[in-house]
Amino acid sequence: MGVVTPARSNLVNPAADAALSRALNDELADKGFVVAQLDKLVNWARSGSLWGLTFGLACCGVEMIHCWMSRYDLDRFGVAPMPSPRSADVMIVAGTLTNKMAPALRKVYDQMAEPRYVISMGSCANGGGYYHYSYSVVRGCDRVVPVDIYVPGCPPTAEALLYGVLQLQKKVRRVGTLVR
Amino acid sequence: MEPINELGEHIARASGAADAAYVRLGELMLETTPDKIIALLTFLRDDPKCLFKQLVDVSGVDWPEREKRFDVVYNLLSLVHNQRVRVKVATDEATPVPSAAPVFSSATWFERETYDLYGVWFADHPDLRRILTDYGFEGHPLRKDFPLTGFVEVRWDDVQKRVIYEPVKLAQEFRKFDFLSPWEGGVERVLPGDEKATKAS
Amino acid sequence: MADVEIKTLTMNFGPQHPAAHGVLRLVIEMDGEIVERCDPHIGLLHRGTEKLIEYKSYLQAVPYFDRLDYVSPMNQEHAYALAVEKLLGITVPERGQYIRVLFSEVTRILNHLLNVTTFAMDVGALTPPLWGFEQRELLMEFYEGVSGARMHAAYFRPGGVHQDLPDGMLDAMERWTVQFYPFLKDIENLLNDNRIFRQRTVDIGVVSKEQALDWAFSGPMIRACGLPWDLRKSQPYDVYDRMDFDIPIGKTGDCFARYLVRVEEMYQSARIMEQCIKALRTVKGAVRIDDRKIAPPRRAEMKGSMEALIHHFKLYTEGYKVPAGETYTAVEAPKGEFAVYLVSDGTNKPYRCKIRAPGFPHLQALDMMTRGHQLADMSANIGSLDIVFGEIDR
Repeated sequence: MGVVTPARSNLVNPAADAALSRALNDELADKGFVVAQLDKLVNWARSGSLWGLTFGLACCGVEMIHCWMSRYDLDRFGVAPMPSPRSADVMIVAGTLTNKMAPALRKVYDQMAEPRYVISMGSCANGGGYYHYSYSVVRGCDRVVPVDIYVPGCPPTAEALLYGVLQLQKKVRRVGTLVR
Repeated sequence: MEPINELGEHIARASGAADAAYVRLGELMLETTPDKIIALLTFLRDDPKCLFKQLVDVSGVDWPEREKRFDVVYNLLSLVHNQRVRVKVATDEATPVPSAAPVFSSATWFERETYDLYGVWFADHPDLRRILTDYGFEGHPLRKDFPLTGFVEVRWDDVQKRVIYEPVKLAQEFRKFDFLSPWEGGVERVLPGDEKATKAS
Repeated sequence: MADVEIKTLTMNFGPQHPAAHGVLRLVIEMDGEIVERCDPHIGLLHRGTEKLIEYKSYLQAVPYFDRLDYVSPMNQEHAYALAVEKLLGITVPERGQYIRVLFSEVTRILNHLLNVTTFAMDVGALTPPLWGFEQRELLMEFYEGVSGARMHAAYFRPGGVHQDLPDGMLDAMERWTVQFYPFLKDIENLLNDNRIFRQRTVDIGVVSKEQALDWAFSGPMIRACGLPWDLRKSQPYDVYDRMDFDIPIGKTGDCFARYLVRVEEMYQSARIMEQCIKALRTVKGAVRIDDRKIAPPRRAEMKGSMEALIHHFKLYTEGYKVPAGETYTAVEAPKGEFAVYLVSDGTNKPYRCKIRAPGFPHLQALDMMTRGHQLADMSANIGSLDIVFGEIDR
């Protein structure tokens, strides 16, 4: 059980990676600096250190904690838990968003610095889910904040959230430029 | 006689505040009126045969067809005698029920919740505010005449730059099926297409 | 020098705060660092569960109970299942009862592991959660094995449990319990004599026996005050009366006592698990009642029998009708007395389903517990209360 890491994924080629880093090292040792495209460098830094704001609202919050703990260890993707919105890049809305909570959620979102991303985790945050017809539940957190990635499930497993984070990294790499 | 029935009779006799005492499904229930509830709760707490020291729950039940539409239900627990008792008080929107907060501290929030969800008024309550529903919520959601989806929903408005309340608009209505069988309840029910037949007879 | 009038400071805490264990909002009146009064604002996770249950059939309402206290899902299903069974007047087969008790204790350990470790995190230790959550992952695999879901199992249904344990589950559980005792010793080694942990918890939030009764405490909260009260012993349900276990009680009623009680309860839960595993190896038979009007037929039966197919269809659309009546059925959930006050009017939907959450009165007493304490003790108190907002706000 757990995360199974294949010995050799077809996306990553260790030999080519090693050659690239050797070339980079050589260049750095030779000239003392490295030339790179600025936007690619920015994207690399951005997608590699998506600090996540822990917005654990309900059940999904527990799976989110699990994702950060020893077995799944989200930290290794640079996604560190961040209690303060000011220093966070991605807000993980984990759980049912209620009418009473909606202004607070938006306030926290407004406090985050650009560029900011939102992962909506679980069916309640995606569209109300099991509580869709309730008098006190917001039918989807995208009514309050713009959402980048939706993670389905009730609750999504920690692996599903991990996959969602990887999708967000992909999205950041694809669309994230200096001007947004 | 079962000890639980004996206890019920003892309470009805000695407290002078219980209108009825009966046992259903092995659970002791008492009925009383708002003016006697504090006397009854105090008796239940202090009588050596009762010693119901814990008020574990207060809740409401709505029966809209009754004249006094609300039941306020107190659940008490005695650790010494390992016994539970349920006290019921019938009331309506206008009649206040005296707050049990002076007798049991735990009643404060339970009564706030009952007030919030049903609109039962508790007299002399130290802090009768809404507790569960939204700030500025209107209505009492657990009443049977309150619609499931409520009246308002929230949305972020990009022009006003704040979260606004709008009337509920559902993409798909809540699907409610009628499971009363036409064969079982057929006497007073008119099936679609059968109107003429009933008129003729 | 003239007297300086000191004004109290009103501080807002939450609703998004890492030490709030969810969406608690506190409005605290403070005199310097000392808390003078705190007013918890709850309802930020009020989802209208009780209203929704009134609109669902008895079976469709089961998963709402998972989502109340999402750290101990099965115990709450247990309360609901017992309440419905009481109204229906049915009893669960023996094997079903053993499985329920087994998984109730799995859930208790899940809950206490989360609480004890995050409580340690609230007062400054990060290692316990990193260790404890691995054990939680292992327990969640058992959840996944029986129900297919890691958290929201919907496994206890009125009439029994949904299906029998898969092959090899008992062996896996036995292996797990063997390694669990040393693990718990490790956690105790980390925290029991830890100077920081002791300084943050000993004599913080002391509750006397009288206060505990007056404020309707239950579960580990009342046991930490020295009252030996456990519904599993005093009002046993299912096969708890056949289990051999001890009730730990605290002496001091402070945060540290509550922590100790929870740790000891985990040892006892593992003991009950062992007894259930042993019993389940010999007790065979059905895991839910053999009444087609309440429990669905087996899948294989449905392939061949028209009647079974009709029963299945009727059960999952209309559900079953429950005789009119009312009951207040309580179980010893990990957090305390979790009860369902169920009123039925004879139809297939509950007329009223009041959920009595143990965390609700506990949080109510937070004001009483924290008065005169430092602000930093607030998070220790909240951590030791073991509150989860799913059940408090409902």
